[in-house]
Formats: sequence, structure tokens, C-alpha cells
Amino acid sequence: MSQAAALTFADLSEGMTAGFDFAIDDAEMRAFAALSGDRNPLHCEESFARARGFSGRVVYGALLVAKVSRLIGMELPGRDALWNSLQMQFAAPLIVGEPARLDASLTQVSEAARSVVLALTVTSGGKTVARGKAMVSVL
Amino acid sequence: MTSEAIYAKLTPVFSEVFDHDGIVLTPETTAKDIAGWDSVNHIRLIVSIEAEFGVRFTVQEMATASNVGEFVDLIRSKLP
Repeated sequence: MSQAAALTFADLSEGMTAGFDFAIDDAEMRAFAALSGDRNPLHCEESFARARGFSGRVVYGALLVAKVSRLIGMELPGRDALWNSLQMQFAAPLIVGEPARLDASLTQVSEAARSVVLALTVTSGGKTVARGKAMVSVL
Repeated sequence: MTSEAIYAKLTPVFSEVFDHDGIVLTPETTAKDIAGWDSVNHIRLIVSIEAEFGVRFTVQEMATASNVGEFVDLIRSKLP
């Protein structure tokens, strides 16, 4: 999807869902390391990550948040979103290259606040990698 | 639900939104009495109260509630 969806507030209702499959590759890891300055070896060095008991480098949690940003800004609600808050727990490591999926469901539509709440889940290989909640206003 | 019970549920919601454990709500409390009650936190407050009490407010209802006491009355009117 190259253009943001343009859902109006009236289009939104509790129970609506959105989601997409993704995998974080080496290029995205390198780009985030350069952007953030976080070159922690758990994310950057295969041998270090394996020595710490992981099957490969661990994806930055913030890259999962970046996928949430894509979902909110491009899909639900899309163009008119103004992201207010995020709570997120990282439940299990996601390894670079592993297929994953982000799902969101609309759990609350507040007319008075012209805002919605999204329940978020990131899964990979049948396990929950992260879960969270985002509050988004609709302009 | 009594007003006292509503205040008991409402106070932790205010504490969470405004990140301040010492908030004491009275019927006369208004936005100017609580540090950080700006437009963004007002949105967070409304959404959090709706979720806590399982109710939904309209824009008109929000416009008519001028203090916490009126807000509590509004919540009570929506509860079974």
C-alpha cells in the first residue's frame, strides 16, 4: 500500500481489524542502527546473540513499533490519524528474518474524544512477540 | 453505583492519565486545578473513563460538563 487509507471518523467502528505480514531484514536492522545509534551487539552481532542463547540477532523493539506506525498511518485509520499514545510489552524475541505478523483491532471508538483505541498483537511462528494498545485521534 | 463509588473508580483513572498519585477529586474540581490537564490529556482522560466505566459520551455531553461533579453525574446517568 503506497497511499494512506482515508477512513473518516464515521467509517470507524468497534471490531474493525487491520494487519499485515512482515519480516525484518538486515537492511532494516542496519538502517535503524544508523538512525538510532543503538549498536547493541544483541541486535548487531550474530555471534554475540547466539552466545546469549538466541538463534540469531534480536530485532529492535522499536522496529516493531515502526510497523505499528505504518499500520496506524497507512491503514487504520490512515491519512487522518494523529497518534496520541502507545503501551507495548515485548513478550518474546523476534529474530532477524523470521516471518511475523502485526494485527490490530479497534476496541473503542470515542465520539466525545474523536479518538479510537487499537489492540495490537505481533505474532511469529505461533507465539506472541509483542502486544499493546494505541490511542489515536482522527483529524 | 453511588457517587462515592464513582469517585473511588475515577480517582485512579485521573492519577494514571496525569501521572500523579495525590489527586483528590471533589465535585468542584476543574481542569485548572490539575497540572497537565491540556487538550491531549483531556482526550486520554475521556477515552480512559469510557473504558473504565464501560460507557460512551457524546460531544454535546462533554461540552456541558464543567466540573468533576457534573462529570460524575453524567457517568451515573449512563450506568445501569
